[in-house]
Amino acid sequence: MDVFSNLAHGFQTALSLQNIYLCFIGCLWGTMVGVLPGIGPLAGITLLIPATFGLDATGAIIMLAGIYYGAMYGGSTTSILMNVPGESASVVTCIDGYQMTLKGRGGAALFISAWGSFIGGTLSIAGLMVLAPTLADFAMKFGPPEMFAVLLVAFVLLGSLGSGSFFRTMPMVFMGLLIGAIGMDPLTGSLRFTHNVPDLYDGIGLLPVAMGAMGVGEILIATEESLLRIIHKVKLSELLPTRAELRASWGPIFRGSGIGFAIGLLPGSAHVLSSFVSYMTEKRLAKKPDEFGHGRIEGVAGPETANNAASGSAMIPFLSLGIPTGPAPAVMMIALLIHGIAPGPLFISKHPDVFWGLIASMYLGNVMLIILNLPLVGIFISLLRIPFRILFPVILLICLVGTYSVNSSTFELAVLLLFGILGYFIRKMKYDMAPLILAMIIGPTMELSLRQALMRSDGSFSIFWESPITMTLIAVSLLLLVWNVYRGIRPTKASWEKALEESK
Amino acid sequence: MTKDRAASLLFLLTGIYGFFFSIQLPMGRWNEPGPGVFPIILSILLLVSGVSWFILGRRKAGGENREKKAGWRDIVNNLSTPLKIVGITALFILVFNRVGYLAASSLYLFILLFWVSRYRIIVSFVLAVSIGIGSWYFFERILAVQLPKGLLFL
Repeated sequence: MDVFSNLAHGFQTALSLQNIYLCFIGCLWGTMVGVLPGIGPLAGITLLIPATFGLDATGAIIMLAGIYYGAMYGGSTTSILMNVPGESASVVTCIDGYQMTLKGRGGAALFISAWGSFIGGTLSIAGLMVLAPTLADFAMKFGPPEMFAVLLVAFVLLGSLGSGSFFRTMPMVFMGLLIGAIGMDPLTGSLRFTHNVPDLYDGIGLLPVAMGAMGVGEILIATEESLLRIIHKVKLSELLPTRAELRASWGPIFRGSGIGFAIGLLPGSAHVLSSFVSYMTEKRLAKKPDEFGHGRIEGVAGPETANNAASGSAMIPFLSLGIPTGPAPAVMMIALLIHGIAPGPLFISKHPDVFWGLIASMYLGNVMLIILNLPLVGIFISLLRIPFRILFPVILLICLVGTYSVNSSTFELAVLLLFGILGYFIRKMKYDMAPLILAMIIGPTMELSLRQALMRSDGSFSIFWESPITMTLIAVSLLLLVWNVYRGIRPTKASWEKALEESK
Repeated sequence: MTKDRAASLLFLLTGIYGFFFSIQLPMGRWNEPGPGVFPIILSILLLVSGVSWFILGRRKAGGENREKKAGWRDIVNNLSTPLKIVGITALFILVFNRVGYLAASSLYLFILLFWVSRYRIIVSFVLAVSIGIGSWYFFERILAVQLPKGLLFL
């Protein structure tokens, strides 16, 4: 069957009454968590995991994916109207979006942001639809050496794409890999770092770690700050952009789609990075770059398109290789595993109804989101009137119940709290928890592939340069490693200037 | 102490812990690597990272990064609210299974709202009980999550 007949089959699945309803709930909840500062897509997805227990896998992933891309839409609203990013990918949107609001063009910024998100999201789904099955077919040929080589590239990329420098990110990756090694060794059955605690035999659960580090940790940070919220009201009649604003937005929207799609494929904080790269690109291409930061529509259109495009393409490695590129896809992967479905090269061929149903629902979801985010923007803004001092205890309670609901384990609640504390301090020390979480998920597969490959080759490392695929991937990872080390140790412009001044 | 130095201590401690317990695991041979190989490599990498950041952190402390040092002092000053939240959450986890969700969540919310958010006692009580009951209904009845019954058998 070709792509279009598969897609038609997917629409049959997605257009069932139940799946339309679930897609709508996902998009609605996603927009809400995107609007509310302090709850990102990760917390939003985790909170609704218990709600998927009674659903089939297709319905579950449709709803959870809706939250993921819905949060990207919602995040821009508070950035534009209040200068408060609803979630991390919308930080860049604050720069010009809020300035537009101060100039009375907030409505146009919201319109262009939603329109760009729609185009970026839709183009990205088209890319996902074409690329994911091709990549999965290719990955079918992968044995342990190829898998190890792919993961090695992922880890080096993870180090270079974190929010900090390579040397700041790599210790977090090592810690994540070490935490991932806790529990029973899959090859020999030996217990590692379990200290006779039965709850540790299966390893540390991803959900409590992710929710603790990203959810509880964020709340602990947020309670230190008092947010002064000034909400600017927008009338429906102010939503329409001028002809000049529309004309200026087309280029950034299409460039943002390409940038977001490409960066979304890489591990790390792709949606944050994509919006930043898009903003810098637009600024560099602009005839008057000095006007950026003072309310340029291009500074809203590009980044908002890019982060939505990235959320679509981030699903490609997760669905076709079983390698999540960020904490939110990782939690979606866990949800699929709970439903007995393992994402990876065999996923699309074994569960075409789930994959194509998801693709079709994402097209529907994008249409729902543009309707939700334009005429109904006022309703979402009213959520921000809930004082944070009421909101944070509720978020904490939901984090606790969300974690407990998966395994009914109070041990996992303790893990949640422990990683909340760790996440708080790590953030305070200007390090990033996301690489730790990703390393924790991918680590066990990486170790298993390495050991299986060495067993197959009777201990010879030459197995890693026997096939062209592994040879290329290992070479890429080595080049990236050398480049990152060079970038980390080369003298900066500031240090050159300082040395020059001292020599005078 | 700079932030980088504090982080280096975390890396060093984790590395030492990992190294100490990894060497007790079978290492195997290259043609059959044991369960200790991967963790010991990671522990060594963590130790190297820890030592590197410890040295780099010291250099920064005396030089260009004085503001980072002040930042660390701010952390200590701002620690009281997060500490309260952590303590209350730890208490919730301890009593959760014994007293049940409804009682534990209402109590948890009440303490947070009264002690951390500084609402008046009546407001805190009303909010805590209504959110507690509402969330219990949402999770237990609508989402069918299995929550501990505890004292109130709810």
